[in-house]
Amino acid sequence: MEKLQLSVSDFIALTNQTLEYAYPTVVIEGEVASFKINQGKYVFFDLKDSEASVGCFMMAFQLRMPVEDGMKVTITASPKLTRVGKFSLTVRSIRPSGEGALKKSFELLRAKLAAEGLFASERKRLLPSAPQRIAVVSSTQAAGYADFIKILNDRWGGMHIDVAQVQVQGQSAPDQMIRALQYFNSQKSLPEVIVVIRGGGSADDLAAFNDEQLVRQIASSRVPTLVGVGHETDTTLADLAADVRAATPSNAAQILVPDKHEIIRAARLRASSAGTQLLNRISDQIRSTGQQLEDMYERFEYRFEQAETATQQLRRILTQVDPGVALRRGYAILRGTQAVGEIVEIETNTAIMKAKVMEYTANGKE
Amino acid sequence: MAKNNATIQEKIAQLDELVAWFDGDEFSLEAATEVFKKAEALAREIEADLTELKNEVQIVKASFDKE
Repeated sequence: MEKLQLSVSDFIALTNQTLEYAYPTVVIEGEVASFKINQGKYVFFDLKDSEASVGCFMMAFQLRMPVEDGMKVTITASPKLTRVGKFSLTVRSIRPSGEGALKKSFELLRAKLAAEGLFASERKRLLPSAPQRIAVVSSTQAAGYADFIKILNDRWGGMHIDVAQVQVQGQSAPDQMIRALQYFNSQKSLPEVIVVIRGGGSADDLAAFNDEQLVRQIASSRVPTLVGVGHETDTTLADLAADVRAATPSNAAQILVPDKHEIIRAARLRASSAGTQLLNRISDQIRSTGQQLEDMYERFEYRFEQAETATQQLRRILTQVDPGVALRRGYAILRGTQAVGEIVEIETNTAIMKAKVMEYTANGKE
Repeated sequence: MAKNNATIQEKIAQLDELVAWFDGDEFSLEAATEVFKKAEALAREIEADLTELKNEVQIVKASFDKE
């Protein structure tokens, strides 16, 4: 084979061409060591296992999750020889690998975003009570989406539902959901609410909903957000950043709209209660009229008794002043001038007689 | 009863008002039967409206695969 004579730059360029041809993309799992971010832009770390180690480089904006030394991760990268002859992996994406790393990454990001106030209760907005225009971010193939639409249709009608078909798991899911959220937030006529839904899955399946940029996009949405991801026991950072969190996609539909069956039942009950109230008012009226009659009768009876008592009293008085009564009891009425020698008239109960006054003595009672 | 063009929410509010009338000071036996008939008709209308309304689902044409 002919000896190839190259400049250093050409050698590095040729090596990189060869690497790019042989290994355009490699996916490697390993443990992070010597992790650092320079100037807030450049990320350097080593990826190692028990026997080997390789240097990695990536831009800080590509970092979608907190990383720290000792964390097990899976990277997607391209091998490259730098201009100073150092072999390095240029990382395009990095994600936690295994349950421990996922949990660690989740807790780190949760603490970071909580400290920034992204999950604060005072940021939460109320959802409209019966929205007419809804935006949905989900995969139309997912069972969770089918459940959501079925329950929504069963509970309420008259809504316009725009659905952004996106991947809800995997590497490209966060970016697709971010673009869908940006799309709905940039509409001339905004939807009243944006619903992000996905059915249950493993922690790895739901990892897209713990993506830092997606969580920030949800928190900064102009339109109020409702997130229903996974099962009741699953909590993602997207849930925490949403204005309202639903336990499941079905629960999201229940939260979003009232149940028309309940409203119909309530309307029937209200109308029937009006009938009951009408009957009650009629009964009240009858009772009230009867009471009025009774009161009137009682007042009449009282007045009658009063008049009767007054009449009896008058009668008693009249009896007492009747001169005939005194005559019958043996008294007499004396008429005429009461002086010695005068003739006076005496009336008794049975006779009237005349008599001459023989003697007159005043008894001092006058 | 003439067709009511109000929204369902407005009709529910109207029904509440009619029912509250029976407890209010303006209640009169002469008008009560008419108000009750209105309340019944409104309840039937709410039921019909809610049963008839269908949702319109539209898949957004924009692709979110790439920027």
